[in-house]
Amino acid sequence: MQKRSIIVCLLLAVSICLWAGATWAADVRGVTENEIKLACLVDFSGPGKYAGPPLALGAETYIKYVNDRGGVHGRKINLIVEDNGILPNTTLAAAKKVILKDEIFAIGFNLGSSGSSAIIPLCEENKVVMMPHGANKRFYNPGNKWVFVPYATQFNMGSRAVEFILEQNPNARIGMIYQDDDYGQDGLEGARAAAKFMKTKLVQEAPYKIGTIDMSPQMRMMKEANVDWILAWTYLPQTGGIMKEKAKMNWDVNVVGTNTTAYRQIFPILGELADGYMAVTPYVPWEDTPQRTRDILQKYGVLDKVATSPFPAPLFFGCWTYFAAMVEGLQQAGPNLTPESFIKGLEKVQNLDVGGICPNITFTPERHVGYFSSLVVKADAKNQKYDIISAIKDPKTPQD
Amino acid sequence: MGSPFKVSYKADIALFQNLWVKFWLAVLILLMVILPFFLSRYQLSILNEMGIAVIGALGLNLLIGYTGQISLGHGAFVAIGAYTSGLLTGKLGAHFIISLPLSGLMAAVLGLIVGIPSLRLKGLYLALGTLAFGFVIEYVLFHWDLTQGDLGMAVKRISLGDFQIKTQRQYFYLISTFAFLAVLVTKNIVRSKIGRSFIAIRDRDIAAEAMGISLAKYKIMAFGLSAFYAGIAGCLTAHYNRWIVPGSFDISLSIAYIAMIIMGGLGTVLGSVLGAILITGIPHGIVYIVDLIKASYPALSGFIIDFKLGIFGLVIVGTLLFEPAGLFGIYRRIKVYWKTWPFKY
Repeated sequence: MQKRSIIVCLLLAVSICLWAGATWAADVRGVTENEIKLACLVDFSGPGKYAGPPLALGAETYIKYVNDRGGVHGRKINLIVEDNGILPNTTLAAAKKVILKDEIFAIGFNLGSSGSSAIIPLCEENKVVMMPHGANKRFYNPGNKWVFVPYATQFNMGSRAVEFILEQNPNARIGMIYQDDDYGQDGLEGARAAAKFMKTKLVQEAPYKIGTIDMSPQMRMMKEANVDWILAWTYLPQTGGIMKEKAKMNWDVNVVGTNTTAYRQIFPILGELADGYMAVTPYVPWEDTPQRTRDILQKYGVLDKVATSPFPAPLFFGCWTYFAAMVEGLQQAGPNLTPESFIKGLEKVQNLDVGGICPNITFTPERHVGYFSSLVVKADAKNQKYDIISAIKDPKTPQD
Repeated sequence: MGSPFKVSYKADIALFQNLWVKFWLAVLILLMVILPFFLSRYQLSILNEMGIAVIGALGLNLLIGYTGQISLGHGAFVAIGAYTSGLLTGKLGAHFIISLPLSGLMAAVLGLIVGIPSLRLKGLYLALGTLAFGFVIEYVLFHWDLTQGDLGMAVKRISLGDFQIKTQRQYFYLISTFAFLAVLVTKNIVRSKIGRSFIAIRDRDIAAEAMGISLAKYKIMAFGLSAFYAGIAGCLTAHYNRWIVPGSFDISLSIAYIAMIIMGGLGTVLGSVLGAILITGIPHGIVYIVDLIKASYPALSGFIIDFKLGIFGLVIVGTLLFEPAGLFGIYRRIKVYWKTWPFKY
């Protein structure tokens, strides 16, 4: 009789647990007993469509790697890649689709800063953690409960660039050409902050409107200000314009750009003119990618593709590292996954090594940005590669 | 009951021409009331976008379709409405009930100013003038500290006393009420002296002036009215999305509105509604199609995503080629067919 009672009690307990588990699983959007739905929003159709395929491949490869290792707490990750068209309206439509229709748990990557801003209320309302790419200082200062940035922002890189220049020449006359949007403005503010911190200032600032390719007016402004270092917070076409103008003016000025130009595509665009171009970036050049990471790429059959010029390896690894941070957050959150436990899990991510391709990632409840540090690379046009000339380092300028 | 012979002007311009119209209107209202209980949040969000687009499209149709004044700056007026309400509710703590009409009024005042060059400019030149206005507004929104640049600014939820509009269903009722009111007001404007003056100006402005219609007054009025609708649409957009960025109101929005009224039918109220539904619906339709075929035909879904804009353009070009009167033309043909059935004409 007693034995029977114990069996009945056990069965009852198991069924209560199963029922509770099923109820809990049904209550958390995008999470079942066997699956977690994550979204990756990249641009396949808008102005940033060149970035879509390498970003998506980075995410897919990393998620395959995670799933093959058993997933996270026994749950496989179901990755939904969606076209966000990079613009605010199209990003909002894509975010609505993945949140309201596909019912994802979190957005592991969203390309475009203004689009990321536009979807913050939707994410807050639906308790969706979002990781914006093209990140701006505003995403971590003042920051938002639901936003995590596993990346250095343009502000951080702007500061790092100025400090690097002043290390080379404490009396450098620095000018800055920047895109007149949040991307360029954030870099400009970082550069200004570092210059002020180092008790100097930018001697010339020349904005350009998005889409401008002719950089001759900006270069003339730099020449008139007699600068010897130019910070170029631009994209590849404008960097091309600056380097060509520099050659045309026969001007031996140093040019330092940012991560958006530290791609191998610069070599086919500029040829020999690319030689000596420097860029601040959080990602190591492809040649310096550790063997352990290359082995994973080899296993999933993407090594040749990523290694082939002009495939933009930093974009591939951009998405890769975002999902690495997200998966670590899921691990830290434990098996009882809810949006709140996930946030707590992410805030426990400490010194996460993402394969040696970028600085280690740390989040805290007070700091939702993964790192401030970056390195400086220099273009070697002859061998069509970038060399590291200043190792990964935090800016000394206060970044908060 | 089908088509009674009208013997008075009053009957000719009646808002609800016969019992059938009233019946179908009642059915539509009933549908609108019960529909949200059967649709998902995602489907409701699409309907909400459509509702806001209907209001903006009605305004633009008053200007282009009824008055014949081209404008490529409609997106800028939507932006003015959005930012006015965002700033009024966010910085000054104004209530939505106050910020809504003020958004429309602010856009209308600027619309009246933009309308002044229309007295001297026509066609392409007027289009360029309004386009320039759009760029000026975009530049101001990008660079004014108050509007917080291209990362945009947060906008408060709509609250009516203690009650806050939060769910897609609540937004649906609110937005569709405003869309319905906008349709009703437009219908009334069109059948009034103002509407007839607009049409006269569109058809031949010199003849209209000869008949005693003040071109200056009505052209500027058309700009003001059109901008008022856009301002209201902008205000609703801001509070619905709860975040506004200048990039959401660029030239592509103005072009989308023009596409709405051309596809729907220039100079028709129903055309504005149908066009807004179609143009807002196409991208979502593509999403549904891609989702359906993604698993079985990944290459085809990739092709559709790659050529999303192309498909959008093809639909517009196809409509212009094969149905220049827009969706309203199709509607009219179907209506005539059933009215005259079983006879061919």
